[in-house]
Amino acid sequence: MVRNIVILGGNSHPRLVESVCNSLGLPSCNRILTKFSSGESRCEIQDSVRGKDVYIIQTGFGGNGSKLNDHFMDLCIMISACKTGSARRVTAVLPLFPYSRQPDLPYKKAGAPLIQPPSENGRKDYTFDSVPATPAPGGPKSSGFPNPADITNKLIRTSLGNGSGPASPKANGKANGDAYFGGNGVNGTQEHQDRRGQTGNFTTHDYENLSIVNAFEARPGYKQWVAQAGTLVANLLTCAGADHVITMDLHDPQVQGFFDVPVDNLYGRPLLKQYIMQNIPNYKEAVIISPDAGGAKRATAIADSMGMDFALIHKERRPTRITDRQNASMMLVGNVADRVCILLDDIADTGNTITRAAKLLKKEGATKIYALLTHGVFSGDAISRIKASALDKVVVTNSVPQGEHKALLGSKLEVLDIAPIFAEAIRRVHHGESISVLFNFD
Amino acid sequence: MSGEMANEIKLISGRSHPDLSDKIAKRLGVEVARTISLNYSNQETSFTVGESVRDEDVFIIQSTATGNVNEGLMELLIMISACRTASARRITAVIPNFPYARQDKKDKSRAPISARLVANMLQTAGANHIVTVDLHASQIQGFFSVPVDNLYAEPSFLRYIRENFKSEDCVIVSPDAGGAKRATSIADHLNTAFALIHKERPRPNVVGRMVLVGNVEDKVAILVDDMADTCGTLVKAAAVLKENGAKAVLALVTHGILSGNAIETLNGSVLEALVVTNTVPLGDKVERCPKLRVIDISPTIAEAIRRTHNGESVSYLFTHAPV
Repeated sequence: MVRNIVILGGNSHPRLVESVCNSLGLPSCNRILTKFSSGESRCEIQDSVRGKDVYIIQTGFGGNGSKLNDHFMDLCIMISACKTGSARRVTAVLPLFPYSRQPDLPYKKAGAPLIQPPSENGRKDYTFDSVPATPAPGGPKSSGFPNPADITNKLIRTSLGNGSGPASPKANGKANGDAYFGGNGVNGTQEHQDRRGQTGNFTTHDYENLSIVNAFEARPGYKQWVAQAGTLVANLLTCAGADHVITMDLHDPQVQGFFDVPVDNLYGRPLLKQYIMQNIPNYKEAVIISPDAGGAKRATAIADSMGMDFALIHKERRPTRITDRQNASMMLVGNVADRVCILLDDIADTGNTITRAAKLLKKEGATKIYALLTHGVFSGDAISRIKASALDKVVVTNSVPQGEHKALLGSKLEVLDIAPIFAEAIRRVHHGESISVLFNFD
Repeated sequence: MSGEMANEIKLISGRSHPDLSDKIAKRLGVEVARTISLNYSNQETSFTVGESVRDEDVFIIQSTATGNVNEGLMELLIMISACRTASARRITAVIPNFPYARQDKKDKSRAPISARLVANMLQTAGANHIVTVDLHASQIQGFFSVPVDNLYAEPSFLRYIRENFKSEDCVIVSPDAGGAKRATSIADHLNTAFALIHKERPRPNVVGRMVLVGNVEDKVAILVDDMADTCGTLVKAAAVLKENGAKAVLALVTHGILSGNAIETLNGSVLEALVVTNTVPLGDKVERCPKLRVIDISPTIAEAIRRTHNGESVSYLFTHAPV
């Protein structure tokens, strides 16, 4: 029935590969994919691919002891091996596209990252203002959500202890030189200290070693910037020999334009929609929320098609007071009081955005808060953040392995299976049928 | 000549071998550019540029640390592409030990030619020039359509041998047929005898039977090779040489990758010393292995960078090692 297809799986998500193969009713290709002791990837494809239509499944996720860059190089090597092995066509299937998010770095006006003194002691590791506020009778039902921590308190301490900032740049940078690579949690305490320091201006990326970022100083007069690897990754895939790319819910749909080869961007939307309809009682009364302005389009699309109300959370970065320099405060646009809220986003990495949004929604009187995400990467402190947050339920797809997350989060996490979507996409692409029907099944 | 002012050497260092970058920078009398590369918690690599590279002659130094090859390679690619987006005039990737150099041919069905892939990736990212040391196979240069300067550690090795031994006491030994050319070249320069060990290799990183061709009796046998990975070959070869009556056995190797149990293997071997260059970061291996000696290759690389920048010939470095 499906002939001449070869499904080749990387090491990043073996379970997805297995279930895609099951859906298609064919075995995955035999291969050896390990590392030499020197650290170079070793790849041998043991089944013939000559004249075949090869689909290589590798998601952009590192964790559980494996590394993202290793997976990406493995993917390129596999693509190139199939090409040299005379495959007719090689399609890279990346459920989560690596490096698709534009990195953000908190800047102050002068150009360097904003550094704040560490918050008070006695906080737990995950810190953060994403923890729901303790309800108190007569508590203010705020119209906004000003800066989380008590700013005056902080400012007092800033002026008193100038030494509480990071150490001198040179010393810090050098000392950490050896811990650069793979130093996962090597200097845990220092890291937590640093993370706490960034409370006021949160970033949606956590660094493994923030002290280096804080200690870094650009040459005077030059505004530092962060390299954006999206185009590079696209070019590397094409240069390795990919003829076609299938991915899901690209953070920026413009990434498709980085490629010279066809890109099929599948949507997790139908799955999420189905979940809302089947699992949220009285969903017509619920409100769809976009946790930031960037995701508004995605969220309104679902809200419109289901005839639901929509609200938006806006991260305001304007200074609200003269002393209160640049603090991301959040504002809710729309009404959620006494209603069920459904947060919709494409990706949750550190979980900062959704947990903070949840806290605000709770404060505004939401009764129950769901978060529906396509990609649940949950790196850094995300799991502890979500555990402590006001979120009642987090729904993700298995675009990245969720086994470990599920074990840690228990019933708070719900995982939807995307294997049938990818299997169907692969089948249709192979037979040259249109896949646009996958974009909207209601 | 104000237009020429901007075009200066800009040295950017990756995370893999900061020590080598510092040595090169010191020798060139320039500062390493202010950049940071690190990983986000989701393991994506981020590279921050803290000074202008517009219209500069950029040299990016990135070796590949043992066990972290892919991480280092990806970081290098991101650095190159960042400099290209930032309008650098020319980007030279200085890769002292070229990654995947051993996967340079399709030796069985559907085996990847990863060295060619790396070459293509580097060019895709935007490298205009490559500087490397002792490529495993010099044909790898043909994978590139940009200039590749393949420097040699040979002059440094020749100096080391001349300083430490009488050349008439030595025999240069190649541990395999593939390295015969490298070894004969050294033997010719020193005017010494030459021997070769023939080995059968059933699988990668596994060594089979070994046969010595040539005479090493009562001589100092010097094994010469381009890389020492698990050191299985070297140690077995040393044992064979000792059995055949060699007075002492030492090894001169350009790239000390020393992965797996290499250090333990070396410590328990009959090898008197393993001399490597610092193309690969050695970390604490020097402390863990008393037999390990290190030759500093940074003068050669620094001189190559200076000559490349000034548009001078690099071929002088093929026969001379700057001090």
